[in-house]
Amino acid sequence: MTRARRGLLLIAWIATVAILGWTVNRHLVIGTDLRLFMPSPRTSQERLILDEIGEGPASRMLLLAISGPDPQAAADTSRALAATLRASDEFRLVANGESNLLTIPDSLLAYRYLLSPTLDHSALDAGFLRAQLEERVRDLSSPGAGLLEPWLPRDPTLELLKLADSWLPARQPQLLHDVWFDASGKEALLVAETRAAGFDPQSQRKAADVLQSAFEDSRTDGNLRLESSGPGAFSVLMQERTQGEAQWLGSISVVGMVILLLMAYRSLPVLVLGLLPLISAGVTGLAAVGTIFGTVHGITLAFGFTLIGVAQDYPINLVSHQHRGLDARSNARALWPTLATGVASTCVAYLAFLFSGVRGLAQLSVFTVTGLAVAGLTTRFLLPLLVPESSRDAADSTRLGRLWHAIAGLPRPLWLGVATAIACVVYVALSPRPLWENDLGALTPIPPALLARDSELRQELGAPDVRYLLVIEDVDAESVLRKATNLDPKLQTLVARGVLGGYDQPARYLPSRAVQEQRRAALPDPDRLRTVLNEALDTTPFKPGIFEPFLADVATARQLPALGPTDLAGTPVESRVSSLLLQRENHWTGLVTLTGVNDAAAVARIAGQAPGITLLDLKQASEDLVSRQRERILWCLAVAAMLLVIVVFAALRDALRVRRVLAPMALTTLIVVALLHATGVPLSLFHLIALVLAAGLGLDYALFFEHAADDPAEQRRTLHAVVVCSASTLLVFALLSLSTLPVLRAIGLTVAAGVVSNFVLALLLTRPSARTET
Amino acid sequence: MEVRYSRLLEKPIAVSGRLEHREDGSLVRRVVWPYQEVTILQGENVSVERAGSKPRRFTLDRAPELRGMLASFGAILQGDRRLVDRHFAVSARGSESRWEITLTPRNDKLKRQLSRIVVVGTDNRPKCFTLEEPDGDGSLLALGVAGLGDLPVSLDRDVLHAWCTDGDGQ
Repeated sequence: MTRARRGLLLIAWIATVAILGWTVNRHLVIGTDLRLFMPSPRTSQERLILDEIGEGPASRMLLLAISGPDPQAAADTSRALAATLRASDEFRLVANGESNLLTIPDSLLAYRYLLSPTLDHSALDAGFLRAQLEERVRDLSSPGAGLLEPWLPRDPTLELLKLADSWLPARQPQLLHDVWFDASGKEALLVAETRAAGFDPQSQRKAADVLQSAFEDSRTDGNLRLESSGPGAFSVLMQERTQGEAQWLGSISVVGMVILLLMAYRSLPVLVLGLLPLISAGVTGLAAVGTIFGTVHGITLAFGFTLIGVAQDYPINLVSHQHRGLDARSNARALWPTLATGVASTCVAYLAFLFSGVRGLAQLSVFTVTGLAVAGLTTRFLLPLLVPESSRDAADSTRLGRLWHAIAGLPRPLWLGVATAIACVVYVALSPRPLWENDLGALTPIPPALLARDSELRQELGAPDVRYLLVIEDVDAESVLRKATNLDPKLQTLVARGVLGGYDQPARYLPSRAVQEQRRAALPDPDRLRTVLNEALDTTPFKPGIFEPFLADVATARQLPALGPTDLAGTPVESRVSSLLLQRENHWTGLVTLTGVNDAAAVARIAGQAPGITLLDLKQASEDLVSRQRERILWCLAVAAMLLVIVVFAALRDALRVRRVLAPMALTTLIVVALLHATGVPLSLFHLIALVLAAGLGLDYALFFEHAADDPAEQRRTLHAVVVCSASTLLVFALLSLSTLPVLRAIGLTVAAGVVSNFVLALLLTRPSARTET
Repeated sequence: MEVRYSRLLEKPIAVSGRLEHREDGSLVRRVVWPYQEVTILQGENVSVERAGSKPRRFTLDRAPELRGMLASFGAILQGDRRLVDRHFAVSARGSESRWEITLTPRNDKLKRQLSRIVVVGTDNRPKCFTLEEPDGDGSLLALGVAGLGDLPVSLDRDVLHAWCTDGDGQ
């Protein structure tokens, strides 16, 4: 191939990758909702859990604290901040203790008689009205009478005030300067519910930005500080930390890789060419995921690039076998059976994740399989056309020669391999420690100081528990509200017994139609009301005739149709009801949020007494989901392992050779699992993926050693290739294992240990000299 | 004694009780007749608690008449001129032995709820605090009066005002 045509091909290749990359970049939507990495629901119970994990009001709630030297400034800022957030698209409910009595639209004012529970236990008769009017006289001579006076002609029983009071949280923080403050009176407290799900870090990030800029705009004092806590705030924080650390470690590894490759080949063109298959793999992988799924998850992206890093080994193998007099094309042709076996078997392993039932993993699978296939094919068909004539031959290295000689002299302890395998299996089987990690949160643990602060704020604000939630399901909103109404007295008993700190349920804001109609029926007709009112007024100092607006409102209320879930627009409880009463595909769901759950079993018992009411333990439920998901993935992996054996067997067609190639990787998997277990690391999904990655690497090393035949020069070239491959991989993952975050450490440690073990075992069990001795 | 006038009422209502200053700086208004009620004013925060009902809490921002009352107490009883000047313009007339001080709100928000406060006293002793609201409502606080028997039979505003300025009603 001439220099000019070579240049043209290089440009065409780079241009194709660049155009594809640009297109992908334009259309790709990156999602961050962690639920994508949870199993697709199969039962209605699972669907419920997945809906609530991200949708439950508790998981969307941010607890905010504004602190500073001047409480008045904190209170003013709290008011301004709440107003800004209420107007923003990111938040749907903001509470800071401000009374919003006057925000009820005039048209709904008469509804107070249908919404307030007063009429359930007392009738609007002369006795009740007299008692109420006497209280009002006292109110008028109390301080603050001016607040009530304008309302009295319309609302002598203060129904509106009772309603507003009943809408306040059952246990609320103290009010200072008209807003919530902590017990010490130094921090203004707020609760803000985001529209975005709590476990969607990207949308939570947006909400956090809106919150911060709203705070900057509304702060009245430069010394004020805003703190936010809750699942959403944590997911933003942990994503930033994970990303930050991964980027930092990633940059170091890239520098290290470049130095390593330059040391190994002493050629800049080789370095650049070596990267082309990897970049092509990444871009086509993304394009494939984008085409099939529409979106790609952030984790798929980050993790996928780690996994296809293996593709770097393909050009390394090609270049290491390059020597004077050998045409790169015939080199590639000679290596292809080995390379193709490696690529195909690794792809088979990753294919297992496609059937895992987890969308995120299916994406990961499509990404890696496509990527690795592209990397393998470009290494075979495009790269050889571009690799320059090499003047260096790895086989000439005297140091490699000596190393190979030393290795050849090593014993071939096949019995040790068998013994190690048995020892690992027995150790793990007999160990009492749990092998698996079911708590997803353990992988990205939140600093204890933040958790302590969160529970402190939760306590102060009486904010709902993030773990427990009662779910009421039925065909329509009315049935859900009726069930909630029937449940209420039982919950009250639990609160009285101290089993429960408090609760919140939709019927508290929106009574069922049945209840509203019952209250409406209890309203006296206008003539009767006028008579009893006059009777009550007889003994009070009120002027006659001032309560006409009251009579008119009651007369209106008698004609009102009961309010439904959609009629609350513009009221202070609109957002509360819309987060507690949800319309699903073909049914309605009512949520009862719980505070201070001291005895979950007791709550579960009262839930069990009525059909369609479930106590969700989100922690337990998600752990169950994780373990069920793992079971399925393990089955998929078992099938993949069998397919892998078939692929290798089809390529090598010799039981002994197959055994030699597969032994290092199988043994390595057992050793790494035992090692992780011994060091007290429970296995998670990420360990499983990392184990598959390590196994794929091991298979490649073994295949190439096996391929090296008896030619000493080839053996040295293979050793060179495998040393460079494993050194570069080890560098990347050893760095990752230094991370402070368990999720990154899990991947780093597993793969690093796998690389070392695979390399050593491939030398001990697969090297060709061993074969000649058999 | 405190007498309250409201346009909703046919006749004024009278209550009696005590005002106490606590060591923590709070002011307590305790009604003992004809019912029991305790109001605690601490800084900007007010809580009103009456036997048989839930305490009500609000701040002075929402009860301007209370802020006016408090400021005038501060000025007259404790000589805290700064607090008064922040919210009110002050004018005085009369003599050392028989004086009358009028406080008029400075800002519009306060003006909407409160027209003026008139304090009448003799020598160094204030006798009546009269609070007038723009809608015609108002109240009158007579210090050192134990029961209704010590006030004129009619609780009419003019009658009481005359009684306050009269000087021999103690």
